[in-house]
Formats: sequence, C-alpha cells, structure tokens
Amino acid sequence: MRISTLGFTAGSVSAMQQQQVSLARLQNQLALSKRVLTPSDDPIAMVSILELQRAQSASRQFATNATLARNRLNLEEQALVDVTSAVGRARDLILQAGNVGTQSDADRRSIATELESLLGSIRDIANRQDGAGEYLFAGFSTSNPPFIGAPGTAPTYVGDQGERLLQVSSNQRIADGHHGSAVFMDIPAGNGLFSTAVSSDNTGSGSIDIGAVVDRSSWVSDDYTLSFTAADSWEVTAAGPPPQVIAAGSYVAGEPIEFNGVRVTVSGQPASGDSFQVNRSVGESVFQTLEEIVGVLRIPAGNASANARLASSLQGTLQQLDQVSEHMLSIRAQVGVRLASLDAIDATREALNVDLAGSLSELRDLDYAQAVAQMNQQLVGLQAAQLSYTRIAQLSLFNYLR
Amino acid sequence: MADLLNTSISGLLAFQRALDTTGHNIANAQTVGYSRQLPQFATRTPQQFGSLWLGSGVDVGSVHRAYDNFLAAQSRSSSSAASQAGTFATQAARISNLFGDGEAGITASLQSLVNALQSVADTPASIPARQGLLSQSQALVEQLRATDASLRSLDAQMNAGIASEADSITALAQGIAQLNGQIASAQARSGQPPNDLLDQRDRLLDELATHINVEVVPQGDATVNVFIGNGQPLVLGQQASRLVAIGDGFDPARQRVAVASAVGTMDITGSLGGGTLGGMLEFRQQMLDPARNALGRISAGLTQVMNEQHQAGMDLRGNIGGEFFAIGAPDVRAHEINGGDARILASLGDSAGLTGGDYVLSYGGGAWTLRRQDTGAVVPMTGSGTAADPWQADGLNIVHDGGVPAEGDRVLIRPLSDAVAGLQLRVTDAAQVAAATPVIANASASNQGSATVGGLRVIDASNPALRSEATLTFLSASQYQISGDPTVHTFTPGQPITVNGWQLDLQGTPAAGDSFAVRDNSNGVGDNRNALAMADILGRPVLDGGSTSLQSAVGQMVGRVGVQTRQAQVTHEAQQLVARENANALDSVAGVNLDEEAANMMRYQQAYMAMAQLVRVADTLFQSVLDATRR
Repeated sequence: MRISTLGFTAGSVSAMQQQQVSLARLQNQLALSKRVLTPSDDPIAMVSILELQRAQSASRQFATNATLARNRLNLEEQALVDVTSAVGRARDLILQAGNVGTQSDADRRSIATELESLLGSIRDIANRQDGAGEYLFAGFSTSNPPFIGAPGTAPTYVGDQGERLLQVSSNQRIADGHHGSAVFMDIPAGNGLFSTAVSSDNTGSGSIDIGAVVDRSSWVSDDYTLSFTAADSWEVTAAGPPPQVIAAGSYVAGEPIEFNGVRVTVSGQPASGDSFQVNRSVGESVFQTLEEIVGVLRIPAGNASANARLASSLQGTLQQLDQVSEHMLSIRAQVGVRLASLDAIDATREALNVDLAGSLSELRDLDYAQAVAQMNQQLVGLQAAQLSYTRIAQLSLFNYLR
Repeated sequence: MADLLNTSISGLLAFQRALDTTGHNIANAQTVGYSRQLPQFATRTPQQFGSLWLGSGVDVGSVHRAYDNFLAAQSRSSSSAASQAGTFATQAARISNLFGDGEAGITASLQSLVNALQSVADTPASIPARQGLLSQSQALVEQLRATDASLRSLDAQMNAGIASEADSITALAQGIAQLNGQIASAQARSGQPPNDLLDQRDRLLDELATHINVEVVPQGDATVNVFIGNGQPLVLGQQASRLVAIGDGFDPARQRVAVASAVGTMDITGSLGGGTLGGMLEFRQQMLDPARNALGRISAGLTQVMNEQHQAGMDLRGNIGGEFFAIGAPDVRAHEINGGDARILASLGDSAGLTGGDYVLSYGGGAWTLRRQDTGAVVPMTGSGTAADPWQADGLNIVHDGGVPAEGDRVLIRPLSDAVAGLQLRVTDAAQVAAATPVIANASASNQGSATVGGLRVIDASNPALRSEATLTFLSASQYQISGDPTVHTFTPGQPITVNGWQLDLQGTPAAGDSFAVRDNSNGVGDNRNALAMADILGRPVLDGGSTSLQSAVGQMVGRVGVQTRQAQVTHEAQQLVARENANALDSVAGVNLDEEAANMMRYQQAYMAMAQLVRVADTLFQSVLDATRR
C-alpha cells in the first residue's frame, strides 16, 4: 500500500475535522446541558420529550383551574354558613312566636318585622357576587342578580340551572358552585313526602299537626283534602283527576287519621265544612316559607279558628325551617366533598409533576459526568492527531538531500 | 568506441527524461486529480558485431500514467452516493431544527391554545381571558405559518438548486466532450496517451460524479462516453447533451430535469439518482413534500375541529359562534398540455379522510379517474361531481364546474399545499369567542321523578328552531310530549333526546308530569360548556379516519422528521467512509509520494552521473588510442 503525500494530508485533516465536529456537538450539549437538541439526535426521545413538556404545561393550567374552583367553592360555603345562621335565628323567632298565650298581636308583629328583615338578608346572600362581580348563585346568567322581587316579598329566581364545570385534571371536572334554584328554591316542603295546611276559611278551632309517615310504600303521590262533612265525621278526597274519596271516618279529637300510609292528627273542634290540606311535597323556597309565616303572624289572633291556623302554621314553619337547615347542610356537604376532591387531585398532580420532571430530565438532560469524560477523551484524541500529524508531516527524504 | 559514446548518450537522455518526469511529479504533488507518471525504460535494438549482439543503450519508450479505471469507477460511484446522502442530510437537518424546540414548538403552542381555552372556561365572562385566547390562537397561526414558510423557502431553494445543478452538469459535460476531442487528436498524433489531459478529464468526471451518478464507458480512441439515469447519453465522444431544468407540467415553478438534444427535451427526473442533484430530488420527494403535507393536515384537522365546536357555541353577545380558523383551499392545477377546458374545483371535506398525498384527476374513456400522484393507485370516488353532489374521496370534495374535458386531460390536486399559508384566525373580537352553549335545560321545580339533566349539546347549530323554547313533558317514565304537541315520543334511558338541533341527556327516571324546558341561553355569560368542549380538541381523533388525534399527529410528524434526518446522517457517515476508502485505494495507485520521488530522483541522478562517467571513460579510451598512435 502506497500513501500519497496529498492523500496523507487530506486524510489527516479530515480526521481532525471529524473530531472537531464531535467536540463542537459535545460543547453545545454541555453549554445547554441538554442531550437531545433536535429531533434527529434521538427521534424517539424527542417525541416523548414533547409529550412530557405538553403534559407539564397542561398540569400548570389544571393547577390554576383548581385554585379558581377552590376559591369559588370557599365563597359558596361562606354564603351557605351565613344562610344557615340566618335560618337559625328565624327558627328561634318562630319558637318565640309559638308561645301563643303570652304573645300579644303587637309582639307577633314585631317578630314578623324581624323575620321580614331576615328574609331580606337571605336574599342579599343569595345575590352575593364573587370578586369578579359574577353572581354566585345565578347558574350561567352570572351578570344579573338572580333573585328579584319587591322588598319583603319572596323573590323569584331569574337565573338558570347551569352548573359550571372546571377541568382540574386531564379526566376530571369539578363544578365550581350550585345554581340558586338548587340552593334556595327547591327545598322539599313538609317532611319531604307531604305537607299539611289549614284552609284559610275554616270556622272551627281545629288545627292539624305536621303528620308522620307510617308506611312509605303505601303513599300515593297526590294532593289530598281532609274535609269535615260534619263536626264528627271526615273524609279524604284525592285531587285526581278525577277527584275521588279514598277514606272516611268519624272524628275523635286528638285521635290520628291514617290513609295511604300517612298519619295526621287534628286537634280542637273543627266545624262542619272545615278542611285541611295534605299535599304532596313540592319544592318550596326559603323565601316563600318566611313570607308566608310573616303574613300569618301579622293576622291578629283572637278567635279560635285563627289561633288554630296560627298554631298549625307555626308548627309547619318550624318543620320547614328544619328542612331548610338540613338542605343547606347537604349542599355544604357537597361543597365539602368537592373541596376534598380538589385536595386529592392536587396531591395526585403534585406527584405527577415530580414524575414528569423526572422522566423529562432522564430523557433530555445531559449526563455531565459522561459528557465531560467523553469530551476529555476526544480532546486527547484530537491532540494526538494534531501532534502526530505535525511530526509525520515534517519527515521527508528531501531533508537529507544536502 | 563510438557505440560506447552512443550508449552513454542514450542513458544521459533517458535519465534526463526520467528526472523530468520526477520533477513533474514533485511539482504536481499538491495537484488534486494528478496521477503520477512513470518513465518506461526500454533497451535499444542491439547491434550485431560478428556473431555477437551488443546492446546499444536505453530509451524512454513511454511515460506511463499510474491509474486504475476500475478503482476510479468505484470511487466515483461511492462519491456520488456520499454526496447524495450529504445533500439529503444537510437539508434534513434544517427541517429537523425547525421542529426541534420543545418549549417553543408546535406541540407547546397547541397546548398553550388549550390552556387559553381553559382559562376562558374558568372565567367565561372575562374579556382579558378571551383576549388571551385570541393572542394565543394568533401566535399558533403565526407559528404554523412561519414553519410552513420555512418549508416553502426550502422548496424554492431546491428549485433554484436543481436549476443550477443542471447548469453545472451541462458545463462539466461540455468540458469532458472538449477534452475528449483534444485527447483523441493528441493520441492520434503521437500514438502516446496525453497523460495530463487524461487527468484533467478524469478530474471533470470525478466532479460530475458528485453532482449525479454517471456511467463512464471508455472508447477505442481514448475518448469516453458518459451516461446518466437509465442510460441517457450525456457525453458521446465530442458531443455533449444539455441538462436543463424545466417546469413541471402542472406547476411551472416546480423544477424537473430533462435532457435537451437535437430531437427535443426528455424529462428524466424519475430516473436520476446520486450526487447533489439526486440528493435534492430525493429530499424534495421523501421529506420536504411529506413534511409540508403533514403540517397542512394538522392545520386542517385543527381548523375543522375548532370550527365545528366553535360554531356549536354562543358568544358573549348571544350570537352563534362563527368560524374560528380559516384555512387555505386545495391547490388545483390543470396540465399545460390539456386539450379540454374543464374546470375542476376542490375543497377540503372531513379531515379524517386526508392522507397527506397529492392526486391526479384524469379524464379518459368518458370518465374521470382519481389517482394518487406518488403511487398511481386509483382512489375510488363517490358522488356525481356536481356542486350539489361532489365527488368525495380521501377528505376531498371535487366538483366538475363546467367546461368540456378532452381525452387524456389531467388535473393535479394538492389538497394541503396551501393549507397553512391560508391559515388565519377568523375571530378578532374577544366577545365573539363562543364559550357558551346557546341553549340550557332547566328541570321544573315540581318534578317528582329522579331524572336530572346530564348534558345538553348542540349538534346542528344551523337549525332555525335551535333556540326556541321546547318543553319536554313526561306522560310516563318512558313517554314524553314536546311543547304540547300531541305526538308521543318514546324515551329510552341512556339514549339522548334529539330535538331542534340539540341533544339532551337525562339521567335517572322521570315521573309522569315531570317536565324539562330547553331554552335560549342568551343570558348565560357565565356558561363555559363550549369552551370546555373546545379545550378537548387536542385529544380528539380527527385524523386518519378517526384514529389519530392532533396531539399524536404532531408527535408522528416530529418523530418522522427526526428518524429521517437521523437515518440520512447515519447513511451519510457510512457513505463518506466508503467513499474515502475508495478514494484512498485509487490514491494509493495514482498519488504522488514525495519520499518515493526523492528516492527516484537520487536514483536517476546517480544513473545520470554514471552515464556521464561512461562518457569520460569512452573519451579516455579514445585518447589512449590516440596517444598510442601519436609518435
């Protein structure tokens, strides 16, 4: 094998250039502390790197979303706490008014006034806004107050039943609140199955209790009228359609009347033609409950029928306020569950973030020890190539021709 | 004695020639492509003296060029392959670098769009959040367009490169043909090979091989013929063909390569390979076109899925959402030699059908046929080609918009060629972002059953009754009426109820008398349902017939570019190694070694001095004869 002088030079120079290319690449990796700089460096790793970086970015957004959801749920919970305490005060006032013998009409009127102002403050809570001016309990119609109506009257709900979900992880969405209809409007009336009431045109002194469920499976959901055909006999008519009498009996004061699995007790002496309602439970608003009792408390007591109506109403209202408290509690429980989910999701996300960062670093980041060792090795190689070239290139037979 | 003198003079002359050759070798030690020359010594014809034959000295019979045609052919073919791989790798790296940055890449921008959509979902009434979405969308559009513009500029560079390659090859071919002439006449004149001219020609052949793969066939008169492609003659003796860049029949800007001869030009693009020209053609076909189409396909998918969802939503002013992005229409080009005047229109249909390929629609035998441009495979079309019922194939809608085709007419359809260039954000006003759903379902407060509203979607925003109030009243758990219409519909639990272009999911069991009202949601400024749905777009399988999401399509594109580039780099390194080996092999035969030349110089110098000494000996001998006779 011959070696030509030109070939030797060209070969040596190209070998050195190759070493320099490798060194430049290593230097670039060291400077950026990354192993994979372009897709061609490691195509498979690059695809994973892009995906991991995307997941990190998504995770940051989920954290923002979760924080926002938590803030709004905290605001809602505070509002629910405030409603519960107002309802508690209303309950105390009703108990106070229930002492019919010792309370004058004027006392009841002042209680009614205070209840009316409680109604107003619950309405204010229901129309509460968040930091951005959006109404908390308006569903999606967050730019207008959801509860409107004249002061002292039960407001109507003009919001909608929208419930906003926020994406808090790649596969979980959490509602950031409840709409006003669910919180304030649709509270089951009575005991959740039925509610009782005294007809306003009764003339006797008969009053009706809140009733009890004896056998839930026998209950047929309908509105019933318990009417006295005579002072000592009653019949129960289902509203139908068509209306039909489903039960009848003779009246003994204080003795319970049972039909369709429920039991109600009428006490006092109802007159013939008096009637009482046993209606299936429908949603009633907390405002309606308060508005009704305020109206009842303002009617002067005195005759037997008015007293009977007052007693029934107060008893019914107490039961209804307990329903309201329970309802608020169940909504608060839902809020609590959501907040707890958010905490769990946060924890999962933190763990995932650590994972993502670890995987990313493994794929993308440079192993310094290895890279520096490799660089030293290549430096030695390049130096050796340079040195050997200069020494060999100096050798020539012509040097001896003198 | 005269013979002795003659012999020494022949030696003196021969070694002088030899020293000349050595000097020439040393002088050209640094000349690329120079092959060392060796004097070929030959004894002169002996003379008869009586019965004896006495030698009469030495001659330089010829000057031999140290060269090996087989090694040279090998070296050329490998340098051709190396230069093709090098060109491909260099250009591929430029695409690879475009997709390199993970934190500022297309994946990151797509995710930023999703994040911005979620920020809108977080606070749908907030104008700054909506503004953020628009900025992010604009940034994504600009990034996609910038990437496409880079790819287009690469395409333009390839076109310019192909044209200049054709010129270089033509110039080299002319040089070779000219040298062929000079060599033939020199050889005929002297009967000896003109070594330095041969070197020059070989050097041109070597250079030609780095531009394109060539086949060199030596002829009897010391000329060579050069063929390219599938045996198209580039140089025949003293005649050189011209290689020219011509515009594609469909697209004049797209350069192809043809051989121009007296009988006309012949397109040989398909059969060319090797060298920088082969590298450019290969890169354009294997990597550049697919990368542009992949980017176009991602943009088309993004546009379709965003628009569909956005148009199912309602903006802050209560209007139905419009297009979110707009995209460039397919590029349709009739072939320049078409005889008919049929007008063909094409538009993008369902992006799930898009393949990333280009198509040729051809007319023959009274019917139109659609074929893949790359494979030639026939693609079946449905429809009749009218505006009302267009031909549909692979995500394309094609319409024959009047005009009469001639037999053999062809039309090129590039579905995604201009897609990204035409990409733009259509929503300019933050309030126009349709974050809400235009309808909302409310359950009646007096409902007794357990049914609740699970979800409400718009499936046809163009339904005129979409936002009219509709009340579903249940007659039983399985029957309902709509807004007092006596028609009784059947409700199957788990099945959505579809009315007026919306779709309602009910969970649980309704009771008789329960009702649900679906109403206009104009007040729903806090509604984020549509924004949430839009934030899902990355994961939706909208491509490849509904099997690939945008997210994985981007991954595939980057992966493919990376793999191709890596492969090209590896191939280039390997080919370079082979080429160097082959060049070394030739070089070890033909190259000048200075030490060898120094040794030769000393050798010839000594021989020359010995010959000179012989002259003196002849002189001395002659003198002694003269002295002996001078008395």
